[in-house]
Amino acid sequence: MFKFLSAVKKEYLLLLRDKAGIIILFIMPMVLIVIMSLMQEVGWSAIAKDPKVEILLVNNDKDSLGINMEKGLRNSGYFTVRDSVDKMPVTIKSARAAVKRGDYLIAIVVPEGITKSMRSNVRVAVAKTLAGFGMFNPNLLKSLAQKGADTVTIFFDPTIKNVFKNAVVSSIKEFNYRSETGMIFRAFNNEMAKQFPAYKPENIEFRESLQFKEVFPNYVEQEAIPTTVQHNVPAWAIFAMFFIIIPLTGSMIKEREEGSLSRLLSMPVAYINLLLAKVTVYFFVCLVQSFLMIFSGIFILPYFNIPSLVIGDHVTALFIMTVMTALAALGYGLLVGTISTTHQQAAAFGAVSIIILAAIGGIWVPVYLMPTVMRQVALISPLNWAITGFYNIFLRQGGLITILVPATKLLAFFLVSILITYIYRKIKSPLNI
Amino acid sequence: MAENPIIEIRNLSKRYKGSDDLALNDISLDIYPNEIFGLLGPNGAGKTTAISILCGLFAPTHGEVRIDGLDLKTHLNSIKHIIGVVPQDIALYPTLTALENLTFFGNMFGLKGKSLKSLILDRLAIFGLERFANKKIDSFSGGMKRRVNLIAGLLHNPKILFLDEPTAGIDVQSKIVILEFLHEINNNGTTIIYTSHYMEEAENLCSRVSIIDRGNIVSTGNPKKLVAEHPEFKNLENLYLYLTGKGLRD
Repeated sequence: MFKFLSAVKKEYLLLLRDKAGIIILFIMPMVLIVIMSLMQEVGWSAIAKDPKVEILLVNNDKDSLGINMEKGLRNSGYFTVRDSVDKMPVTIKSARAAVKRGDYLIAIVVPEGITKSMRSNVRVAVAKTLAGFGMFNPNLLKSLAQKGADTVTIFFDPTIKNVFKNAVVSSIKEFNYRSETGMIFRAFNNEMAKQFPAYKPENIEFRESLQFKEVFPNYVEQEAIPTTVQHNVPAWAIFAMFFIIIPLTGSMIKEREEGSLSRLLSMPVAYINLLLAKVTVYFFVCLVQSFLMIFSGIFILPYFNIPSLVIGDHVTALFIMTVMTALAALGYGLLVGTISTTHQQAAAFGAVSIIILAAIGGIWVPVYLMPTVMRQVALISPLNWAITGFYNIFLRQGGLITILVPATKLLAFFLVSILITYIYRKIKSPLNI
Repeated sequence: MAENPIIEIRNLSKRYKGSDDLALNDISLDIYPNEIFGLLGPNGAGKTTAISILCGLFAPTHGEVRIDGLDLKTHLNSIKHIIGVVPQDIALYPTLTALENLTFFGNMFGLKGKSLKSLILDRLAIFGLERFANKKIDSFSGGMKRRVNLIAGLLHNPKILFLDEPTAGIDVQSKIVILEFLHEINNNGTTIIYTSHYMEEAENLCSRVSIIDRGNIVSTGNPKKLVAEHPEFKNLENLYLYLTGKGLRD
């Protein structure tokens, strides 16, 4: 025990003296959390509420549909609508050129006469319906011709993500459906008034009769709307914690390359003691890292107009998940550090493998958006187990029971990593374990 | 040599994984208590491999080693208590001070507290480093580092001390201090096994040497007697060159 504690002290001093290392270990993860949360918030908000996404609107229809569409876009809170480029009224040509240059992500062209065409088509549809009831003169019906659908052209920057593009198209279609439905409603009213002069329709605007309520059920059955922060902070915290592999393997290989390990192995101390001393120090590093990242989520993100992280009531579950994630990351680090022969090898393999495990584990793209095969592959990533546990706490407000499976998997991963490290070491250096 | 050997090496061979050649080829050797024994040879001869096996860092491919009557394979931990190792590399932590480094290595031998600190300060004083006890190793000169490297291997007063080129790349003053100290601890009963490329140094320091080449021992004996047995060579270096050849080694 004394030798172990002395080795812990040595690791602590080595870490403390490495100023750049401390900045990387503690400050960088906080910066990562803030930057990634900001990025993701903007990414999500581009669909939801950020008014800073500028779009160009070429509204050549000065009638109700064009006016309503422009009004809807301006009032949606989704976009900042611009109708001029370089202080000149925007045209189809200038809008296309501006998007091509990448000055704007989107330009919408509403063609001239689109309202007139729609009104005409609505009138035909209403007339046909009323004619079926004998309430419209069939001879007059022949004189009404149905026109083809008009086209609203939308120019998209090629860099735009599909998910964003689809959201924009859906929003515009929604304006169109509302306008068209209102138009049909009014056309019916007008025709009915013509047929029944006694009928005095009230000035009733068409209103949607169906409302949608968004509910996110969780274990405490209290209504809580998850924010992007609740997704982002745990995801990037896990990612940063697994990157402990870089300083850990660096420390192991440096000790080996500088000859200190050989000296230690000639001394009456078990190798596993030396490894566990490293694990102990880096375990506390992981805990401090996660504390700082959660601190950033709660106290720093609000300074950037991002909602604060809500950790909920299950602090014990959160602590256990943090401990298990730290152990899994350290176990993996020990394994990579033992098998790698050079610092470059460990750093390259370690970093790339963490990125791969993060990618397949659902840190960057939610697992439910992945192809079927990748959803199965995701289940083998320890980062997926970690994020499942953290989501159960942060998003579902779950307690200890809900993290039992992911926490056990992470602990098993740590133990298996240590076992493989031990076996590998026993094969490579049977005298010094 | 009527005494029992403190180190018995029997038919020791070592082949590294992936290599066709034997780093050590069936060597047998006895080293007796209180000797300063030199292992001399060109680069790649097998000196460091031999010392690494004797310290328990590598397992031999074949053969047996007994140290102080204990089998290396079965009693390695007990053996580690009685040996000290001074590796060729400066095996210290550059960002720790001399005192922190030596305290840590002393702790690994079970030494602790005030007695360890006092011992460390005494040793640093012997090597002219007491003023630098609280300075980081990365601020030391090459000679100072090598002196601390030596102290780290003998804090626990080992019965047997292995030194792998302890005077490589240092100034004459540092070399003299180190060699004088080695003589002193040898006089106090420490057996020293030492490798070097410096033939003159080995000739003056060692009671016996083995010249080793391509994993084989080509000659063993008292350096002065070896030279005397070959009157055509005026010193150990000439004999060494004759035995190992002038060809460059890998």
